[in-house]
Amino acid sequence: MPDTLPAFTVLLAVMAATALFCRWAGFAIMRFIPATPRIEAALRATPLAVMAGIAALAAQSGGLAEGIALAGVIALAHLIGNDVIAALCGVAIVAALRWWGAG
Amino acid sequence: MAAPEFSTAGLWRGARDAVPLGFSILAYGLGFGLVASQALIPLVQAMAMSVAVFSGSAQLAAINLIGSAHFTITALVATILVINARYLLFGAALRPWLGQTTPLRAYGSLLLLGDANWIMVMRAIDRGEADRAYLLGSGLPLMVGWLVGTCVGVVSGGALPDPQALGLDMMLPCFAAAMMAAMVKRPANLVPVAVGGGAALIGAPLVGAGWAVILAGISGAAVAAALWRPARA
Repeated sequence: MPDTLPAFTVLLAVMAATALFCRWAGFAIMRFIPATPRIEAALRATPLAVMAGIAALAAQSGGLAEGIALAGVIALAHLIGNDVIAALCGVAIVAALRWWGAG
Repeated sequence: MAAPEFSTAGLWRGARDAVPLGFSILAYGLGFGLVASQALIPLVQAMAMSVAVFSGSAQLAAINLIGSAHFTITALVATILVINARYLLFGAALRPWLGQTTPLRAYGSLLLLGDANWIMVMRAIDRGEADRAYLLGSGLPLMVGWLVGTCVGVVSGGALPDPQALGLDMMLPCFAAAMMAAMVKRPANLVPVAVGGGAALIGAPLVGAGWAVILAGISGAAVAAALWRPARA
C-alpha cells in the first residue's frame, strides 16, 4: 500500500460520490433531452438490448451447462408464461448440470 | 396531471419480486467480503463500502486499486466511473417512467438501483407497473442480501460452500434471458435483441465484458432510433 494513503473516510466519500453520480446522472440528463417518439423508441429498445447482451455473454463465456440453461429459460418463459419461474428453473438447470458434470 | 402512485403496496410488490435476486446478490456479497477480509479491510469499513457504493464490481476494483502502488484519488474516481458507466444508461432508460414522480422519490429510489433490479423494473414497466415505489422496493432485498453477504464473507474468511455450485452466478443472466423472452411480443422486438446480443459478442474481446454490455445497450438504442418511423394514421 502507498505510504500516503488518505483516511478511509475520504476514500469512502470519493467512492460514494462517484457511484452516486453514475446512478443519478443518466436520469438527470434525460430531463433536458426532449422526449421525442424517436428517443422514446431508443429508450424502449435499451433494456432488450442489454438483456440480450448479458445473456449472450454468459452463454459465450460459459460452457454447455450455461448454454442449455439459457436456452431452457427462453423456451420455458414462452411455454409457461412466467418469467420469474423460468429464470429460477434456469438456475436450477445450471446447478444440476454442474453437479452432474462434477460427479 | 396527478403524480403517479407511490404506495406501500407497490414497494412491497417490488421487494417481493426481487427476493430471488437478493439471494444471488448475497452470493456476490460473500465474494466481496472474502476479498475484503483478505485485503485486511476491517468489517466496519467493508460494510460502509457496501452501503455507500453498493456495486460489487466497483468495490472489488477499488480494493485492488487502493492496495496497489498506483493509487491516486483520480484513478479511484476513474475506475468507479468506468465500471459503473452502465448506470448512466439505466437511469436514462428509466426517465420516461420514473420522471413522472417527484424528484425526491425518483432520486431516492435511484440510490438502490442495481443491474438485477433494473432488469426487473424495466420488465415490470413493460407489463404495466404504474406504482413508482416498485423500483425502491425491488432494491431492498438486493441491499439486504449485499450487506448480509458482505458481513458473512468478511467474518467467515472463506469457510463457505461455493455459490457457483448452486448456480447463483447464473441468476442475473437467467433473469435477463427470461425477462427478454417475456418482453419480445412482436417480431420487431427481435431487432434490439439481435443487435444487443451481437454487439456484446463482438465487443467483449475488444473492450471487455463490462463495456460490452454498455455497447449492447447503446447499439440497440441507436438502431431503434434509426429505424423509427412515424405511425401512419
